[in-house]
Amino acid sequence: MSNSRTVILLWQLAILAAILVIWQWGFEWSRALLPKAYVPKILDPYFVARPSLIWQSFLRLGCFSDAAGFSACITGSDNNLWLATLVTLKNTWWGFLFGWASGIAAGLVLGRSDFLARVFGPYIVALNSIPRIALVPLVILIFGLGDLSKIATAWLVVFFVVFFNTFEGTRAVDRDQIAAARLLGASEFTVLRTVVIPSALAWVFASLLPAVSFALIGVIVGEFIGAERGLGKLIIEAEARANASEMMVAIFVMMFVGILLAIAVRSLQSYLLRWQPQFEPSA
Amino acid sequence: MIAPPGQGLALARGDVPAAAARTRIAVQGLAKRFNASGREFVAVDDVSFEVKQGEFVALLGPSGCGKSTILNMVAGLLPRSGGRILIDEDTVETGKVNPRVGYVFQRDTLFPWRTVEQNIGYGLEIAGLPKTERAGRVASAVEKAGLSGFAQSFPRMLSGGMRQRVALMRTLILEPEILLMDEPFGALDTHTKLEMHKTLLEIWERERQTVLFVTHDLGEALTLASRIILLSARPGRLKEDFDVAIPRPRDPVAVRETAEFGRLYSHIWHSLGEEFRRTRAD
Repeated sequence: MSNSRTVILLWQLAILAAILVIWQWGFEWSRALLPKAYVPKILDPYFVARPSLIWQSFLRLGCFSDAAGFSACITGSDNNLWLATLVTLKNTWWGFLFGWASGIAAGLVLGRSDFLARVFGPYIVALNSIPRIALVPLVILIFGLGDLSKIATAWLVVFFVVFFNTFEGTRAVDRDQIAAARLLGASEFTVLRTVVIPSALAWVFASLLPAVSFALIGVIVGEFIGAERGLGKLIIEAEARANASEMMVAIFVMMFVGILLAIAVRSLQSYLLRWQPQFEPSA
Repeated sequence: MIAPPGQGLALARGDVPAAAARTRIAVQGLAKRFNASGREFVAVDDVSFEVKQGEFVALLGPSGCGKSTILNMVAGLLPRSGGRILIDEDTVETGKVNPRVGYVFQRDTLFPWRTVEQNIGYGLEIAGLPKTERAGRVASAVEKAGLSGFAQSFPRMLSGGMRQRVALMRTLILEPEILLMDEPFGALDTHTKLEMHKTLLEIWERERQTVLFVTHDLGEALTLASRIILLSARPGRLKEDFDVAIPRPRDPVAVRETAEFGRLYSHIWHSLGEEFRRTRAD
């Protein structure tokens, strides 16, 4: 009985409550009870804020603190929480879409052509060896502080993940399945359309989840390094003002966005790959 | 080496009046050599035989004797190193698909992302048959394969025997006159195999396609075929040619109790045994 759903849920809630309580009051209690040297600095609200402060910051940034002025706040401040979240999501979406589409296209072309694969192989390996984050300042230099540079950063990160998955997928197509299709009357093009692409798509779909989360990471890093708006920008601004609670608000919003995207992608994947015995998303 | 055609001379050719039927497959002096790490080895050496309209011929031999290689050359999947193959008096060209010829693989080659229905309908679909016309033929093929209720299932949900039924129907729905089968039931357990034999016998005894069936299973060859061509161990050469005069319709269990089955079984068994010993002596 100890691992029934209810028991697990109760434990989870208890742990959450414990974390919140220690976070909220732990620093005062330990200061009152322990010698100064033993007071854990990690609990200092100056660094980690505390749940009540985070909630207040959330209400303020989310334009909830002033009931009358919600719409004024939304339109008035250029980096309120909602606008920042929407901007980050929008850039994630476009970066993901371009990265995914170009990764699939390049993977299919190089996967089907031994010649091109051998010509471009070393370049791909070389480019892939550059830590993508190192390129972000360059991207911002080229595309400016606006949204375009964030989309480009996300594209850079997503492209290679999807490219390698598609390339491998195209290479891994079962030769006997191709022979079977030919013997059933398929032309070269029909084989590509009805065997090679569907078979490679399994690998492509498996790369959906890493592609989406990489896109989000790319955009946030881009916003850290230079941006006008977005969740990453919110964090950097809060850091400049040493405002831990605002930073925490942005981090929690990212967490929720991440969870929602993962759930959405997983349900899409399990629909698209419902014919597979088991699929393992590869990062 | 080659026994006179029709080993049991006293027996009439069971299924086909041989003289009257036209030749569908003619293999003449066929050879296949492979280059493996600089060393050439001969897989198939000077094989000739004919398959007549409506015959069910089993190509029987020990593993590695090149019987699948022969079949793949007949199907045009593999280039030949020597000799000729004619199907209906036309030379087989490698890589060119003959719409009158159907091929069934040993390995599972179903398209896993397509449902049973979509797999069976594949050939009709890519031939551009309208959906409404396709649906009727697919539905009757699904039923013929005993897969009603599984039409919407994906291959991963099916057993090995069911998958091979789908593969068989995917080929048969195109109504090939000549059927090439490469150990199609080799991966199945004994019971499932017998059920597949039953299905195939029912279909063949009704439709009488010309069949060339590769197997290393003597019981299977005797159950299904009207003629058995026995190949020697590597390099594959023609060793003997038997008629299987077991009356039809055959039942895959009952045939095993006929006198003809027992007689041919022990004769071919000894002949095969020589080849196994030869393989080991190499």
